Amino acid sequence: MDLVRHVECFVAVAEESHFGRAAARLGMAQPPLSQRIQRLEKELGVRLFDRSSRQVAVTEAGALLLADARDMLARAEALRATARRIRHGETGLLRAALPPDLAGETVAALLADFGHRHPGLVLEVHELTTAQQLARFAAHELDVGVIHHPCDVTGLEVGEILRSELGVLLPGGAEAAARDEVPLSLLDGYDLILFPRSCAPASYDDLLTMCARNGYTPAAVRHGQGAGFVRGLILSAWAARATEGSGGAGAVAFAPRDAVAAAAPPAEPGPAPDRSGASGASGVVWRPLAGAPLALRHSAAWPRGRADAAVRAFGEAAARALRATAGATADEPGRRTHLRPASEFWL
Amino acid sequence: MTDARGRIQAAFADAAVTGWLHARDIDSGAQVDAGGDQEVCTGSVHKLCLLVALHHAAAEGRLDLAEQTECPPAGRTPGPTGLAAMLDPVRMSLRDMAYLMAAVSDNAAADALLERVGLDAVNHATARLGLTRTRAVHTFGEILTSIREDAGPGGAQALADPHVVSRLRALDPAGTNRSTPREMTGLLGAVWRDEACTPEHGAAIRRLLALQVWPHRLASGFPFDDVRVAGKTGTLPTLRNEVGVVEYPDGGRYAVAVFTRTPNTAATLPAADAAVGTAARIAVDALRSL
Repeated sequence: MDLVRHVECFVAVAEESHFGRAAARLGMAQPPLSQRIQRLEKELGVRLFDRSSRQVAVTEAGALLLADARDMLARAEALRATARRIRHGETGLLRAALPPDLAGETVAALLADFGHRHPGLVLEVHELTTAQQLARFAAHELDVGVIHHPCDVTGLEVGEILRSELGVLLPGGAEAAARDEVPLSLLDGYDLILFPRSCAPASYDDLLTMCARNGYTPAAVRHGQGAGFVRGLILSAWAARATEGSGGAGAVAFAPRDAVAAAAPPAEPGPAPDRSGASGASGVVWRPLAGAPLALRHSAAWPRGRADAAVRAFGEAAARALRATAGATADEPGRRTHLRPASEFWL
Repeated sequence: MTDARGRIQAAFADAAVTGWLHARDIDSGAQVDAGGDQEVCTGSVHKLCLLVALHHAAAEGRLDLAEQTECPPAGRTPGPTGLAAMLDPVRMSLRDMAYLMAAVSDNAAADALLERVGLDAVNHATARLGLTRTRAVHTFGEILTSIREDAGPGGAQALADPHVVSRLRALDPAGTNRSTPREMTGLLGAVWRDEACTPEHGAAIRRLLALQVWPHRLASGFPFDDVRVAGKTGTLPTLRNEVGVVEYPDGGRYAVAVFTRTPNTAATLPAADAAVGTAARIAVDALRSL
């Protein structure tokens, strides 16, 4: 008896509470489905369903077996996925993904390091956002990836979480640009240019919460992502302020240190030439934020229980590359947490 | 209905949560299903099952709700509310403990009741109503202990670390107290139709659920003075749940169960709490427009 296939039928009928719907979900006809359930009941010596009523109900015995049945299906799928990977060549194929916003140097360092240490392994790298990676993990189409936090890590294991400090991009002529480090509260009055919320709602909300916590509540949030576009918005907002003499202070954006080199002419981010303001090389300067309150958090991730040597090696190479090229550091335990009464749980 | 499902998913996405909802018109049986068969960790939502089991035991004469019980401070299950937060010895009736458990999710009162009633009786009470996927395997104290063990010496602060959250046994439905949104609305429907208990005991359960103090989740979706909201919340790291019944003055009454999980590990996320109410309101409006 093909136990896996029969258990699959059991779980489908249990979840649908209906033979017709379960058959449709499994892509088979109803009579063979009923036969399979009967065969499985005979094999296990246990009645799984109560068919007396119009709806099919799981018996108490069936309910007790359901968790084990689901577990067995998940493991069978994991076994198939591993075999698929081993099949793809003598030494194996690793399907990996990186988010589109990693700096070029980071990507290059990671791939060189991994290739150097595992020359026999075929690495297939995709450029995928965190949300896309999570979907591929769920579909068993991806072995390992580098993701942004916070994200829903249900069913995943994550490697070391690293933080890359964010600084502020602001008009060179702004008063705050004269500082070596800019306190967030000094940005009060500036609009904020941020990635569209739908890209990563949890990160978006987290960034705005940290801004508010540190005394910066932007009057307006405008959405932009590409380095050139963001830069253009900062410059145009500054120019509009200067010509109209309006109350608006202009606009700022957040960027990691490593993004500056890509976004700006070679003179930046050296503080001296840009201190003069909009007449500088570019008119936009990058400054660290005082106290480093904002950061991007990355880690490697892979499906729970699926970490083989290649997956681990990729995760370690990613961490080394982020540290070496993007100034990433270990994610220190953050602020104190005061649990409030509505939290219900208590430590 | 499909439209309601889409709008519920959009409301969850907008609040940066993953959510599963089931709602049913208690009298017509009409349903809204947005992931209603997802197996979920119940957390303190399981205090509802305990409450039903307590009243079932009283109805069968196995205990007297007015019975006085000692609750000494030593060995009390910890928590931020009720007896769990108090320092001195307490003596009170089983039904007043049930009030604290329902109104402020008192962990100490819940475990004192659970000790008297028994886990088996809680599972029997839900099984006899046909709830095959609802199961209590731990006391509330045991769940807190497992979180404390898994979090390690860092305490509540360590729960901000996605690593720590991903290894919490309390967040794996297969190994902890669990149910599905559909089964929870089934349970509430039975309580409201007096099928779970006698009318006298049903009324007592409904009274307690309506005395819950929290305004931030289910109730926040129904800011209407003439609408009654009764419910029970459940909260664990990254999980925000509530199941309850919304009653309109025209007689419409709707059982709603909402279970959410946030990628953000922060303890304070008002938008995620409010999403429970927002999603419930979309579901109830859909049921009322049928």
